[in-house]
Amino acid sequence: MKEAARDAVSVLRERLRDFIQAQEPAAQGIEVGNLAPLTAGNTRNAWSFDASWTEHGKSHSLGCVMLRKAEAGQLETPLIPEFEVIRALGKTGVPIPRAYWIDPEGKWLERPAFILERVAGTSDFPALMRPEGAEISRGVAEHLVEVAAQLHTADWKALGLDFLPATSVETAAAQQVEYWESLFRRHRLEPHPAMVGAFIWLKEHQPVADRITVVHGDFRYGNLLYEGKRINALLDWEMVHLGDPVEDLTWAYRALWTPAGVMSLEEFAERYTKASGIPVHPDNLLFYRLFNEMKHAIISLTGAKSFHDGRTRNIVIADRAATVTSYLIQFYDWLPEVTRGKAS
Amino acid sequence: MIKPTVGELLSGVAVSLRERVLPEIPPGVTRRQIQAAIGIIRRASSVWDKIGPYFFADNQDIEETLRRLIPVIERVTAEEADARLTGVAIKLHATLDRSGAPAEAYPSPAVLGARNIELQEVLAELQEALHDNPVAKNAGRLEIDALIRDLLRRMLARELEINSPARP
Repeated sequence: MKEAARDAVSVLRERLRDFIQAQEPAAQGIEVGNLAPLTAGNTRNAWSFDASWTEHGKSHSLGCVMLRKAEAGQLETPLIPEFEVIRALGKTGVPIPRAYWIDPEGKWLERPAFILERVAGTSDFPALMRPEGAEISRGVAEHLVEVAAQLHTADWKALGLDFLPATSVETAAAQQVEYWESLFRRHRLEPHPAMVGAFIWLKEHQPVADRITVVHGDFRYGNLLYEGKRINALLDWEMVHLGDPVEDLTWAYRALWTPAGVMSLEEFAERYTKASGIPVHPDNLLFYRLFNEMKHAIISLTGAKSFHDGRTRNIVIADRAATVTSYLIQFYDWLPEVTRGKAS
Repeated sequence: MIKPTVGELLSGVAVSLRERVLPEIPPGVTRRQIQAAIGIIRRASSVWDKIGPYFFADNQDIEETLRRLIPVIERVTAEEADARLTGVAIKLHATLDRSGAPAEAYPSPAVLGARNIELQEVLAELQEALHDNPVAKNAGRLEIDALIRDLLRRMLARELEINSPARP
């Protein structure tokens, strides 16, 4: 490790020690060890570390992950709702890391950050997409159905999650379209008539949700830690919101990370309905499949704009606008045909 | 001098970086940044020489389609007296009128790109004006929708030729 990087790690270790002390005033002899970067994500940078201390003569030891906001990324979302959702869902059967502490303003840790339990497992989703990983992937997909059902049947009001923006079965789709269209208008680098046309279709074809649930928002292979065929934790809650649960199911089946090779979307939906009691209507399925292509397109545009404006120097997201074309082609491929004299 | 072309040069740089530089960099954040940069240089190398022809073909297709749409739009505006659509139709005429007299015999990719933005803009405005009107969809509007959707699909297919995502 280079000298400057080593110094930066030492400084961060000190900051973490001071931060934990402020959160746990009765703690004595706090040690922060094994501090190392895990990933440099597009919106959050993850660090792993061990924390230990004694309190009233009792030893405490925690394996931790710190998620710290990146300089600027593909999406810029506040940390507090994400942290509170993770903390609340910890009381349910949804596999999720324990939520420990949050520094919402970056007062202690340079940038806004929160600390979660370090959970065992791998997030390696390409391994699940390879033919030799099919058996494990099938098991993970089966567990993913259960996790979706657990999440979407969680009583969000009883869990105190009604601080999330309110919505209704009639307006859930409209609110999401409005949110993502506003990001599109703010971050586009050119007029993008194909995206304008796509948003028009979405606005004209909004389905009614069967019910309102917590929606993870980035529910997919790659955002879960698994060991063998079991999911130990669902990660990356930065797009969590209240809405139509079908949004999560269709996001899980986007071409980039789909488990369709081991379980068709039809089978997933059928198992999900059996486990959750939530029906999956074809209109909602089509709408959210199309919507999710747009959502990913906007996430990519947001990243490209951040780089273009010099708000981030992360080269990984510099050329993300180039990915938008294939998402839009998928959108228009799935779109019901307009026939002259008959509206789609 | 036309050799090496910019595309060839960038391609060679990407190969050198991948074969000579990348193996020297240990796994981690820096390596991922270099890999991403190589992917972008490779993509730029493969599309550099196609940009001008891409804009030329795209502009031509958008202009031709908009010209076909004008009589249908005029029919719809006459039937509905839609002020916004009428305004867009006027802008459409003005935009298309500017296509007849290029300032340069062989416009540069930058000039063709600026024209492309102008055409995209009027096409987007047309779609929004059609969506804004609460009048039920009639035959004229459905014909416009179908022609625009076909155009958007052709534009995306062309765009894919120059916009395939970067591979490290």
